[in-house]
Amino acid sequence: MADVVDAAGEPIPTSSVLMAAAKHIEINCMPENVEFLKCKKKDPNPEKCLDKGRQATRCALGLLKDLYQRCKEPMEGYVGCMYYHTNEFDLCRKQQQAFEKACPLE
Amino acid sequence: MTESVIRNKPGMASVKDMPILQDGPPPGGFAPVRYARRIPNKGPSAMAIFLAAFGAFSYGMYQVGKGNKIRRALKEEKYAARRAILPVLQAEEDERFVKEWKKYLEYEAEVMKDVPGWKVGENVYNSGRWMPPATGELRPEVW
Repeated sequence: MADVVDAAGEPIPTSSVLMAAAKHIEINCMPENVEFLKCKKKDPNPEKCLDKGRQATRCALGLLKDLYQRCKEPMEGYVGCMYYHTNEFDLCRKQQQAFEKACPLE
Repeated sequence: MTESVIRNKPGMASVKDMPILQDGPPPGGFAPVRYARRIPNKGPSAMAIFLAAFGAFSYGMYQVGKGNKIRRALKEEKYAARRAILPVLQAEEDERFVKEWKKYLEYEAEVMKDVPGWKVGENVYNSGRWMPPATGELRPEVW
């Protein structure tokens, strides 16, 4: 359950994977996320915001794949730790440092 | 009989002349016993005790404040992570909802096709805003 990608190489967006990559998603996918939230605020109808939602999902999944390709080992360690400790950041500091050293938050 | 054997004085004429055998103080009396209070008046004053307690209390509250700051930072980290992944999760749920909703609208059209003047599916409310379906029938496995 703590896999980052499935057999075909596509990233699996489970909670541990998303929480582990959350800081990267926050920085790199900020425009798409903000657009989606603005669309939702204007009109909460899901049918009206489908395209912006697709953009946000595409950005996040692409980012996950990119992170996995750039630093596979630290990311797998971090995701495994998150899965074991149910997304507690404070219990996974070591793996978080290793991950952020390998794939810096820019 | 035993008394006269114990307290015998040779040459006494009657039992009334027996010497008196009493338990009494030693000759010269007992040593004097002190029974007055002697509580010493040294040690910390009231102000000193108060300041020590106040100092311990304020040091403790300072540590509490520092700990609260750290805990708040941890919570902020968690909330920021949740805020960052919220659009991904909401978009997934929207896709699933739209699929289910279309299926539901088709079902409703088929059920109500013989009722005159029935507009399929849309808006039981009059405010103009979109409201999520309230009956919970779209996800019976959850409810």
